[in-house]
Amino acid sequence: MRCDHCANDVPDGVFCTRCGAHQGTTGELAKAKTRSHRYAAHPAEHVVQPSVFTTIFPHLGHQKVHEFRWAFVVGLAGIAVLYVAGLIAAAILVAIFLVPVLYLIYLYEAQVYRDEPATVLGFTIGGGAVVGLVLSLIVRALDNPYPSFGNPLHPTSINIGLLLFLGVLVPVVQEAVKPLPALFLPKRSEFPETVDGLVFGIAAGLGFSVAESLVAFSGALTGLPAHLAPGNWIYDLVTLAIFQPLVQGSATGMVVAAVWRYRRGRLGQRELGGVAMAVIAHVAFTLGTRTLSDAGVAQPFVLIWQAAIVGAMLIYVRYLLHHALLEEAAHMGFAETVCPNCHMHIVASGFCPNCGVALTAAPTSVKRARKPAVAKS
Amino acid sequence: MAMTCPRCGAQNPDGNLYCQNCGTALTAPVGVAPPPPGPPPGPPPGPPPGMAPPAFASPPGYASPYYRPAAATPPVHRTPWMVILAAVVALVVIMAGVGTLIAVLGNRNSPSNNGSVADLASPSPEASPSPVGSPVPTPTSSATQSNDGVSVTLPAGWTVADQDSETLVLTDPNSEGEITIASGASVPAQTAQDNKTSIDQGLKGKYPDTRNCPGTTTSSATFNGAKGIAWTLCLTLTDGTHSVPAAASVFTGANSSGSVYYVVIVLTQQDDLSHYLSVAKPVLASVHWKLT
Repeated sequence: MRCDHCANDVPDGVFCTRCGAHQGTTGELAKAKTRSHRYAAHPAEHVVQPSVFTTIFPHLGHQKVHEFRWAFVVGLAGIAVLYVAGLIAAAILVAIFLVPVLYLIYLYEAQVYRDEPATVLGFTIGGGAVVGLVLSLIVRALDNPYPSFGNPLHPTSINIGLLLFLGVLVPVVQEAVKPLPALFLPKRSEFPETVDGLVFGIAAGLGFSVAESLVAFSGALTGLPAHLAPGNWIYDLVTLAIFQPLVQGSATGMVVAAVWRYRRGRLGQRELGGVAMAVIAHVAFTLGTRTLSDAGVAQPFVLIWQAAIVGAMLIYVRYLLHHALLEEAAHMGFAETVCPNCHMHIVASGFCPNCGVALTAAPTSVKRARKPAVAKS
Repeated sequence: MAMTCPRCGAQNPDGNLYCQNCGTALTAPVGVAPPPPGPPPGPPPGPPPGMAPPAFASPPGYASPYYRPAAATPPVHRTPWMVILAAVVALVVIMAGVGTLIAVLGNRNSPSNNGSVADLASPSPEASPSPVGSPVPTPTSSATQSNDGVSVTLPAGWTVADQDSETLVLTDPNSEGEITIASGASVPAQTAQDNKTSIDQGLKGKYPDTRNCPGTTTSSATFNGAKGIAWTLCLTLTDGTHSVPAAASVFTGANSSGSVYYVVIVLTQQDDLSHYLSVAKPVLASVHWKLT
């Protein structure tokens, strides 16, 4: 068939395998070409859907995503059990490491690092952790460790200077230094796709999050008794386990993805918006959390604020990656392959003609199994 | 030798299975017969995942996006779901052990008796607070800070971290802790015990592990003429991104009618309270309640 949008002759299918346009909605040309209703990494979802796992684990097929989701739920259940049992120090440690450990398994599953596991993991997760440790220790040395207790018999006051330092300056500095290890990755020419940059950035952000949280909660880990009444620790645990790593990972992912796009000569408003979004969202997250806490707002509302910020960040990450995949997948030549999403044996270029998934977002093992030519005897 | 695509005419490298321009098969797959002619199909039906599409009649010019594999597809790298689950369970179990061990080892060094703020500033029984603040004779290089409820003399190096009409928050020169001194009207009237309950609940709500420090007691006390209760709290100052194990020596009192409250809180690191109380002694000794 001839695609209505890129005018190429392509095998017949629901999606054009060259440009990914959804042939079924040709009547609405703009929507068919950008196909926002079919996220390029996971076509069963809309782009504007704040789904955590399909956003930060873009290489996973729909079946594997479910397995990782269940593993995350089991981890959260473990944290809940430790919290109810009063083992708060243990719960803090599990919360800090849960998402980063899952991401390590994901990197192994998708073989994102290809033939350079030590280099990639060292410069991303390892580099992020080192940067996080150094920066967190510096901030800890500069910051007065005793927030104004105030008068407990009267409403709490807000320290504006401290808010601006910890809520604005520190996040901006963090966003400037967190991406550095991933940006200086050796042999980065072997990882030219924007999805690679996004994943490396998320990994660096998660490494940073682990180090930052360990430094920040080192006092609690050593000062808390082995067993105590759970109290309100659940709110801090939710922040540590879910929102903190997602904010750090997503923000760094967007910055590194923008740099990857720049290296491909594709830096545009969308990518610059990603960098701005990373900084603004991180500031809003930190400043909002501290302000609401200092003002004595109930903790559930603080969590709602954090969830809103994280949701907005995830949507922008998907928007950025969706359009990058639409542009970059088109260069792939035709080959026999098995779609990692719908598992059909297809003859495809950049997109599965059946489900529309971008094949550049496939795990490395699937990409290497593509068969463009007869094997030489 | 280049291969010419029979559909679009594009030149392709020898050995290519499919035209790189339009995806048309360049070589007949081994062991696969061409599909028989028949009625044209509807839109691609999408057979169940993993299964090769059934052979059906194709319309003229129809280029199937599917291929029938000549041999079994070699398995690709897959992490078993049991491994993923086992990793998470192992994380929970290992961190439970490590976290508990760290907490046990860390708490071995906690002091059992941290002293009390009321021990340092107990006045002579005949002293009574004046309704009008009369300045205490100040040594050189000291300054008097006051508000509507309290006045205090600060030695050199001490600073006022925060202040309003009822509260003064003071920081020592080395930023090892802080002292909160407050006094004001209680509406409605509150006894010292009521004030203590309010303080305990307020701190517990903000710092969930607030508790009496081990080996300390809650006792009646008098602080610079104000009668009340003194006790010592251990807590972890945390705001979701930062945490410090702290101890607070607290005094709260009320006048005879309960219309005026008095609060003194000395806050520092949990293992440094005794030392910090001695550092704070000159400040605490100079506290003067303006309200009775």
